[in-house]
Amino acid sequence: MKTTIRRVAIIGGNRIPFARSNTVYSHASNHEMLTATLQGLVDRFNLHGERLGDVAGGAVMKHARDFNLVRECVLSTTLARETPAFDLQQACGTGLEAAIVVANKIALGQIECGIAGGVDTTSDAPIGLNEKMRRILLDASRARSTGQRLAALSRMRPAMLFRPALPRNGEPRTGYSMGEHAELMAREWGISREAQDALALSSQQNLARAYNEGFFTDLMTSFKGVSRDNNLRAELSIEKLRALKPAFDRKVAPEQGTLTAGNSTPLTDGASAVLLASEDWARERKLPVLAYLSWSEVAAVDFFDKKEGLLMAPAYAVPRMLKRANLTLQDFDFYEIHEAFAAQVLCTLKAWEDPAYCRERLGLAQALGAIDRARLNVNGSSLATGHPFAATGGRLIATLAKLLAQKGSGRGLISICAAGGQGVVAILER
Amino acid sequence: MKTIEISQPKGAAASLLGVVLARRKPAAAVNALPEVTLVRPQVVLDAAHIARYANVCGFHMAQGVPISYPQMLTFPLLMAFFGSGDCPWPAMGTVHLANRIVQLQRLDAGDTVRVEVRTGRLLAHEKGQTFELELRVLRADTLVWEATQTLLRLGVKQPAGAAYASALSADLPLSHQADFMASANIGRRYGRVSGDLNPIHLSALSARLFGFQRAIAHGLWTQARALAALLPRAPVTQAALTSEFKTPLLLPARATLWSTRQIQGTLQQAALFEVRNARGDKPHLRGQLDYQ
Repeated sequence: MKTTIRRVAIIGGNRIPFARSNTVYSHASNHEMLTATLQGLVDRFNLHGERLGDVAGGAVMKHARDFNLVRECVLSTTLARETPAFDLQQACGTGLEAAIVVANKIALGQIECGIAGGVDTTSDAPIGLNEKMRRILLDASRARSTGQRLAALSRMRPAMLFRPALPRNGEPRTGYSMGEHAELMAREWGISREAQDALALSSQQNLARAYNEGFFTDLMTSFKGVSRDNNLRAELSIEKLRALKPAFDRKVAPEQGTLTAGNSTPLTDGASAVLLASEDWARERKLPVLAYLSWSEVAAVDFFDKKEGLLMAPAYAVPRMLKRANLTLQDFDFYEIHEAFAAQVLCTLKAWEDPAYCRERLGLAQALGAIDRARLNVNGSSLATGHPFAATGGRLIATLAKLLAQKGSGRGLISICAAGGQGVVAILER
Repeated sequence: MKTIEISQPKGAAASLLGVVLARRKPAAAVNALPEVTLVRPQVVLDAAHIARYANVCGFHMAQGVPISYPQMLTFPLLMAFFGSGDCPWPAMGTVHLANRIVQLQRLDAGDTVRVEVRTGRLLAHEKGQTFELELRVLRADTLVWEATQTLLRLGVKQPAGAAYASALSADLPLSHQADFMASANIGRRYGRVSGDLNPIHLSALSARLFGFQRAIAHGLWTQARALAALLPRAPVTQAALTSEFKTPLLLPARATLWSTRQIQGTLQQAALFEVRNARGDKPHLRGQLDYQ
């Protein structure tokens, strides 16, 4: 058997504007949002009735009934019904991981084209039955006699109706929320409030400028009458950011916090998707290639016993990938580092500049060094757009691919941190 | 130089009485303060009292003896000074304008120290006469802690001394750091711990007798409450604090703490801070803290 590795082309991307939780998309389901996003991509590249090789995607916050979410969404679009699809989930890395999986299939010649996507809603969140009540109902259904059934049901209490199981935005093993973990990291790395606010402001200003330049016109489909991310604050000032009170300090650093609602991403609803293909497939359809997905890497850290920062995994993933690609951290024209929290980005950059950390934790001979900050998230990132967990990967790929296409040639780095101490990173080239 | 030794401080009520009686003193101009040193030759740092102070001011036990705590030890001496003929003006109506604290060595509960208060410079202020009191704490004849209290006697015409100037220069932008409650009874609680039972701090009614709408928080409580938030959760060895009291904090209130650490201080760590009103547009207290 002869297998050749093929280049994987990024043809385009699409997303719906992202919306802060419980605002304009309050009543939109994951199914609705991902379907609208996929349909927008199908319309843009005229894929009506086409059978694609695969569609991969997922959601972090998911209803049990959405066990086959992506396939159901595909069936709701004008793609051929014969297009297979599957769900996957890797927390905030879901969207990028989906793209890597589809890209690998294309690279190996298993498929010619595919879509990778992601969607999330924290507004239309799954609320479970009270856990005790759920067990009683299951016991009742297992009962073999009326007596046993009544005995089980007699354990029900009215209070159970009002204490449902709510989804939590926290790490099961530590009990801390993402923000609390990021606050701990900011303390460990000595990241100042001022540096975080400055990054948040530049993210907002960059996104506003990109919208004004029409950058997102061919990367977005309006949804529910919304045509811009509603977390964008074009009129934001540094004074307004300074006036916000720390939001995650109470448990981990009472009265000494640095993370605020302004320099952290809000809970967000939204969806994104990217179209990937072999060069042959693109050529046949006369579709221009924006960029190529050339390298990827995942990493995970021990944030529990070894006490590594929960969101530090990208710091490990990037040097491993650079080594395989024979590149240095400075060999990039653009850096798309997902801004889960301004502190996460700043901790990662500081870690790469720290010789001791690079030597002892990352096993490198010397520090990776500093990056040119003018190349970081040049068209804004999650602090401004918001962060619908699984949809962020698709947003980053489409944004970076278009940046490289506009530039004509070059290389860009994508880095995403994810719950569970994980990180997913990739290199795009043109 | 006159030295007055006070081994058995008077009770809070007695010293308050002295202070109230001393109200009869006129608001006269003087050329210099008499050179007086008041001394408590042997004071043991009482863990229980430190704990009560820490609790009222919001300090964490892990922070050890707060750098502002030794001011509690000087209070009986200050009251004795104000109640004596050596102080040209009464305590009532004397405004606490600023203070500077320098801790040179870490203090621990159980330490035996010598506490001194002596008269310092006169400075001319646009609203009256400013005068300084120098506070010192020595352990085994070594100076471990010192402070300067800058007080203002309002309404003194043609005040003596060089012009008073703010010691806090850098006007850096500050960020909202924390909120804290100054509860209605905080004046009474801090008063019981500190011995400072000035009626303007105790209740709305007693404060009204002295021209305030409501009781006002002790400036030193506000300062200590800010320090509790700014200092790390471990004892510090060296520290320097410069504070200026801007406007009274009327009780009860929700106050906001604003700060920045983007300054170069004299020690490893430094913070510039303000305690402001709930809206964050009016400062009650401004200060710079250095520590290591």
